[in-house]
Formats: sequence, structure tokens, C-alpha cells
Amino acid sequence: MDSFGLLMDGFATALTPQNLLYALLGVTLGTLVGVLPGIGPAMTVALLLPITFTVPPASAFIMFAGIYYGGMYGGSTTSILLNTPGESSSMITALEGNKMARRGRAAQALATAAIGSFVAGTIATALLVVAAPAVVDLAISFGPEDYFALAVLAFTMCSAVLSRSLVRGLASLGLGLAIGLVGIDQQTGQARLTLGIPQLLDGIDVVIIAVGLFAVGEALYVASRLGHSTPDVVPVGRAWMGRADWSRSWRPWLRGTALGFPIGALPGGGAEIPTFLSYAVEKRLTRHKDEFGKGAIEGVAGPEAANNASAAGTLVPLLSLGLPTSATAAIMLAAFQQYGLQPGPQLFDHNPALVWGMVASLFVGNLMLLILNLPLASTWARLLRIPRPYLYAGIVLFAALGCYAVNNSWVDLVILFALGLLGFAMRRFGLPIAPAVIGVILGPMAEIQLRRALAIGGGDVTVLVTSPIAAALLGLSAVALLAPLARRRFSSRA
Amino acid sequence: MTEADPGDAAPAPPDRRPELVLAALVLGLGVFVIAGTADVAAAGSTVGLGPRFFPLLVGAALIVIGVCYVVDVLRGGRGDPEESEDIDTSVPSDWRAVVLVGGIFLAFAVLVDLLGWIIAGALLFGGVAWALGARRPARTAAVAVVLSISTYLIFVKGLGVTLPGGLLEGVI
Repeated sequence: MDSFGLLMDGFATALTPQNLLYALLGVTLGTLVGVLPGIGPAMTVALLLPITFTVPPASAFIMFAGIYYGGMYGGSTTSILLNTPGESSSMITALEGNKMARRGRAAQALATAAIGSFVAGTIATALLVVAAPAVVDLAISFGPEDYFALAVLAFTMCSAVLSRSLVRGLASLGLGLAIGLVGIDQQTGQARLTLGIPQLLDGIDVVIIAVGLFAVGEALYVASRLGHSTPDVVPVGRAWMGRADWSRSWRPWLRGTALGFPIGALPGGGAEIPTFLSYAVEKRLTRHKDEFGKGAIEGVAGPEAANNASAAGTLVPLLSLGLPTSATAAIMLAAFQQYGLQPGPQLFDHNPALVWGMVASLFVGNLMLLILNLPLASTWARLLRIPRPYLYAGIVLFAALGCYAVNNSWVDLVILFALGLLGFAMRRFGLPIAPAVIGVILGPMAEIQLRRALAIGGGDVTVLVTSPIAAALLGLSAVALLAPLARRRFSSRA
Repeated sequence: MTEADPGDAAPAPPDRRPELVLAALVLGLGVFVIAGTADVAAAGSTVGLGPRFFPLLVGAALIVIGVCYVVDVLRGGRGDPEESEDIDTSVPSDWRAVVLVGGIFLAFAVLVDLLGWIIAGALLFGGVAWALGARRPARTAAVAVVLSISTYLIFVKGLGVTLPGGLLEGVI
């Protein structure tokens, strides 16, 4: 059956009342955590993992995808009304969006962000429908050495891209890889790095790692230097986008989509880079250059489209190769593993209802998000008035609940706290968190593929580079590592 | 291997010892990973590589990264503290609040099975909110109790998650 037919079957899955409810729950939660500071989609999906274990996988992933998309919408609301992004992918939106809001054009800024997100999300999801099966066709011929090289590329790209400092990105990755080693080796049954603690034999649960690094780490960091100024939320007003706003918005939406989708699909691409690029492009192409820096609508429309398109782009390598390129995608990969599923060509073969149901639900979720965000933006903004002590105390409470629910063990809570301290130190000293999360989740898979490849090659290391795909991917990884060094040498000479 | 050259350090160099500790920790973790897996027997793996190979790679990489990190910090490189809307990077760290939040959380971890979710959860929320500077203790206490009871009802009765009843076992 072709993709279109499969997608129609997917709609049959996504449009059952139960799954519609999960999609609605997902997009609502996603918008909520997108609006609120200190909590993002990656952590939310991680917290829900132990709770959703009784839910059928298709419904769970429909909800997770809704959270991912919803987080992208919600982040823009805070950026525009508060000048402080709820998510890093909305940082650029704050530049022009908040200026627009302060000039009394908050409603137009919110509208171009929400409609742009909808347009970009819908087009990018359609691109996902086309691209994912194509990548699957390619991936069928992949050997273990190619998968290992892909993992190496994801490691190096996310470490090199996510931090201004390469060594700090790599340090974060290394911490994650080391944490991922804890527990019984899957191939030989040998215990590694368990310190004799029986609870560590199964490894540290990914929920505890993600929640510790994100939630508890964030709460401790906020405790160390909580800002005491009350947030200044701009009122929304009632005006609607005029003809000029529409005509200045639609091209940035499309250009943002064109940047966001492919970059989101690349290892280490993420959502931040396309929003930066989109802003730069719009600033260059606009006929209203004088307005940039004072609230230009193009500077909201483009980046908001780009970050939503990148979310769809991220799903291409995740579903077709099992390769996470963002922290949220890494947690979703862990979710697949908890259900005993391995994303990749087999997933498309064996679980078409799940894959296509999830993809179809993205179209549905986008529509729900447009409705949730367009008229209700000011309602969401009211959430920002929650006193910060309550907000972070609540985050800690839910973190404790989610982690306790994994094994009903207080030892897990102590491990959670230790990881929270690590997350605090990483934030304090500028180590990005995402490489650690990707290292924890992708590290064990990289190890399996490496050992498999070397076993097939009879211990000959050259098998790792004799496949042209693997050689090319490893070459790209080397470039990712060497480029920052070369750039520094070049700039210090100049 | 990154950032500022040693020449353009700030006039009053900030204390870099804490960051050096983190860098040394990365280095030490590399040594630990290699040493900690040294006694793992390569049993049952006649073909391919045993369970020690990948840890050896990770450990070696951590040592190299750790050395580069230490050198970077010694040469004046500094990581930028993560920015967030509730973070005021201009003020010095409030260690009292960090220690309080940490202590309250550890106390919760130890006491949750004994006291049960509702009591321990309410104390956790109330304690953390107080440590973060919540005013109006009566309102904080009310929010804490309502939250811990409602999460218990929703997750245990509604979603079938197991949480400890503790002292209130059988009451609710």
C-alpha cells in the first residue's frame, strides 16, 4: 500500500474517540508546559512514561506527539507576552514578538505565531509523510556499522552545536554515555558500574535520568538564583490581523517551514538553529527593515513557522532510523523501547497502525492547537501569574511522583536527587543538558551496533569504514568536531 | 580549546575553582569507568568484543575530554550559566535555598514510605515553596494539602499508579 493509503488508515486510528481524547490531552499538556517556565516537553513525556504504561502504544504516542507540537505553540505565547521564552526554540520570537506586544500589537503577534505554526506544522507533517518512507527504503540496506556511524554523528553534532563551547558539549555527552553504561550488559549479562547496589542492576531508568537532569536540576538552579521581579505580562487586546499583516506573514511562514523541516531532520539540527536562520533571512528580505528591532511581524512569523516545522523534521530520523536528534525525540525513543518497539524500517512494517496513526494525529493535533491557542492565548498567559515558589514546588512534587511510580522505591528518589545535583552543576557551568540525554539513550544502542559490526567483521576494525555510508557519516562527524577548532584558529589569526 | 584566549581575562578573575571541580569530575569519571569495569569478566563472548570494550572507549574519551576541560578552565575559559526567565544571573548564588530544597527532598525520599504520599507530598510541596520564598504560610499549607490529596486520588484511584498510603493507609 502506498503512503497515502496508509495515512488514511492512520486517520482511522487517530479519529477514534479515545485517541482524539489523548490527542487533546497531549496538545493541552504540551501548550501548558510550553507556556510555563522550568518545564518542557522532554521532561513532560518522561514524567508520563511510567503512568502511560497501561495505555495502548498508539494512544500513548499520539499523546506524546501532541505534547511535542504543543510545546512549540506554547513557547511563543510567553515569548510575545512576557519577553521571556518558555522554550529555547522560542528565544528568537521574543525579539520582535515582545516589541510588537509593547506597541499594542500583541494580538497580531500571537495570531501570526499561531497561524504560522499551524501552516508550518501541516506542511511539515505532509513532508514527513513523504520523507519517512523514503528514508526507510534507504535504511533497509543499512548494516550495523552504518547505524553505529549514525549514532556517532548524532553524538558529535549535538555536542558541537548545542553549546558555544565544544569541550562542554562533549563533557555533557560523556556524562550521559557513562550513566548509560550502568547496569547489566545486554549481551553477556555482566554487571557494570553498579557499585554493588542491586537497584542499579537494571540500569538507571531513563525517566529518573531525564526528570533528575531537567526538573530537579532546574528547581535547584532556580533556588540558587531566583529572580525576584514579578513578571510583566502585556495585555492581549482584541484586534485581528489586517490585510497588511497577512501579506507580510505568508512568505515568512513558508520560508520558515523550508528551513525548519530539513534542519530539524538533521542530527544536532534541533529547533534553535532554523529559528535563528529564519530570523536572519527575514531581516534581509523584508521591505520594512526599519521595523526590525521595533516589532516586525516577519520576525515572528518566520521563526515560529521554523520551530514547528523542525518538530516534524525531527520525527523523520526518529521514526525511520531510530535516531533521536533532540532531547524530546530521545525520550520518545526511550518510550518506544519501553513498549518493546524499535523505530526503524521494522516499525513501519510491523506496526503501520501505530506509525501512521501517530502521523495522522499530528494533522489533527495541529488543528486542535490552532483552536486552543488563537482565541485562548490570554487565558494561557494568565498561568504565568502563578507564584514562582508554587510553580517550582509543584514541579518537584510531580518529579517525585513520576520517579516513585517507576519502581516504588525510595532509592530511586535518592538517585533522582543525585542526578538533580548534576543537572544543577551543568546549568551553573554552561554544560548543555540535551547531549547527556541523547548519550544515555543512544549510547547503549551504539554499543550493540558496534559490537555487532565488529563481530561480523571478525574483529577487523576496518569494517567500520568499508561501507561507504558509514565512512561518509563518520567523516561528517569528524568535520563536526574539527570545524569549531578550525574556526577558532581562523578567527584568532584574523 | 574554546572561547577566550588567556590574554583577555576579566580584570578581576572570578573564582574558577567550582568549575574546575566539575571538570576534574569528568576526568575522574573517565578513570572510574575504566577502573570500575576492569573486573568485569569477558565470559561467554568468544566472537566479537566483550562487555569491557565500550566502557573502555567511553572512559578513554572522558579522560581526554576531562583533560581538555581542565585545561580550558585553567586558561580562563568559562561556561555561560544557563539563562531562563526565572533566573537572575546578576545576583550571587543563594546557597541557603539550595541546601534547604535539597535537604527537604532527601527527607521526603527517606520518609515517603513511612508517612505515605499524602503527608510526605504535602510536606515536600510546602517545604520547597517555603524554601523558595513563598509568603502567606496558611495559603501555602492549603495548596500543599489540596495538591497532595488530589494527586493521590487522581493517580492512585484514577490511573492505577501505586503510591504509598503510609499513616493514612485505609483512611483514604
